[in-house]
Amino acid sequence: MDWGRLRFFLGEVFANFTRNAGMQLTAIGTVAVTIVLLGAFLYVRETLQTFGTGVLSQIEIAVYLKDDIDDAKAKDLATTFARDPRIASAVYVPKREGLKRMKEVLGADFDTNLLTSNPLPNAYHVRVKDPDTVAAVARRIAADPRVAKTDYAADTVQKLLKTAAVLGRAGIALIALLSLSAAIVIANTIRLTVFARRREIAIMQLVGATNFYIRMPFIAEGMLAGVLGAALAIGVLALAEHQVVPKLASTLAFVTFRVNELTLCGELLVVGAAVGLVAAWFSVGRHLRA
Amino acid sequence: MIRLRGVSLVYPNGTRALDDVDLEIEKGSFVFLVGHSGTGKSSLLKLMYREELPTRGEVVVDGIRVDTLRRGRVPKLRRNIGVVFQDFKLLSHKTVWENVAFALQVTGTRTKDVMRMVPRALDLVGLSHKSRMFPSELSGGEQQRTAIARALVGNPKLLLCDEPTGNLDPSNTTEIMELLQRINLKGTTVVVATHNQAVVDRMRRRVVRLEHGRILHDDERGYYFRGLGQTAVLPG
Repeated sequence: MDWGRLRFFLGEVFANFTRNAGMQLTAIGTVAVTIVLLGAFLYVRETLQTFGTGVLSQIEIAVYLKDDIDDAKAKDLATTFARDPRIASAVYVPKREGLKRMKEVLGADFDTNLLTSNPLPNAYHVRVKDPDTVAAVARRIAADPRVAKTDYAADTVQKLLKTAAVLGRAGIALIALLSLSAAIVIANTIRLTVFARRREIAIMQLVGATNFYIRMPFIAEGMLAGVLGAALAIGVLALAEHQVVPKLASTLAFVTFRVNELTLCGELLVVGAAVGLVAAWFSVGRHLRA
Repeated sequence: MIRLRGVSLVYPNGTRALDDVDLEIEKGSFVFLVGHSGTGKSSLLKLMYREELPTRGEVVVDGIRVDTLRRGRVPKLRRNIGVVFQDFKLLSHKTVWENVAFALQVTGTRTKDVMRMVPRALDLVGLSHKSRMFPSELSGGEQQRTAIARALVGNPKLLLCDEPTGNLDPSNTTEIMELLQRINLKGTTVVVATHNQAVVDRMRRRVVRLEHGRILHDDERGYYFRGLGQTAVLPG
């Protein structure tokens, strides 16, 4: 390794970077804002997904049987359920069991003495393997002549799934747009430094430096701006996670999930570097061809 | 060393800088390109280091067809050609040493070699004692010597000078011309574009006179104006 060459190269990058400090800060800030939003978006999306899949995996279809179906007849249904590959489990809840559970849930608010008879029907609690099949399975079961009614959190489930999908698409579009704007700001910054260094570039070309060599410091500079922006963003996100999330968690029970921080940080840094690289490559390339 | 055949150069704005020029420059020679400004001297030099491409014709430098040279090959060509300008083109934030070393560093020369070659070039132009100074602390002549050291540090076979004394007073001019002559004596081919009559007439080297993009005359041991010596009266 030729340390002298490395030192020269790094010296050039650093001198370049500090000469346009104001513009560089703008570029770093833009990258940071983009990546904070990206990070926040990833956080929200993953929270929703974790929450969503958690909820969905617990979704039960309550299958209420007709009044004339007694325990013995109800047991026959179990074999019907067993034959459906989409069903994960089917638990029989006879009416007395149902009443007992209701008492447990409602506690003192529920006064059983007011009841002269058990108003609950015999029921099954059915769980499916794939949350997407809930609606279809529920319809199929409802068609059975022994079944009076099926019930599940249909609306909630559908809305949650739809929200997650829409959020995913909108988020990708938003991030793409933000990355583009960050890249444009970096590209403009680099173009300014290219302009400020046009003498040096002219001399480099004159003495026979390759375009690759001329480009390298600018690429490094662009990537540096990107990485610094990402690092700043990670700082902001980390702060937000430690300050805001615990408060949210106390009011919204489901915000308990934590991002795999190292992986996420790595990803964000790579995004920053990539944005800087692409921006620098294009803005210097335009100059070199001219 | 240099061969131009039927070379014409028309700029995009329609200006005809060179018109059917044939020129041959031998290895190790010293040649003046003279003529008023705008007669195509600089354009001719630019064709040689491929800053411009001819509209028509053939340009060969050191056995390389420059006019058809692939873009990627240009750096290699340039490493064999030193170029010096009227305005020196030094980097003001770098010292003399750094300016000269820059030419080597950006072409990927090993530090070990840089440390060996820069002092030699500075010694050649007589600036070893000012290597830590910045261009603003130097006289015009010293700045041009720095530029020459930068042009020569990579041991090119050809040195092209575009009005090298255009910004210098007479004593600095003499100094630079003597330096160029010494460089030529060491075997480097030197081509100097100038409209400094005194310089040309004193040196008595080959003189190629351009006018309106054509070669008007080409004399061995010539004068700025054909047939006239230093006694010539400068036209208004």
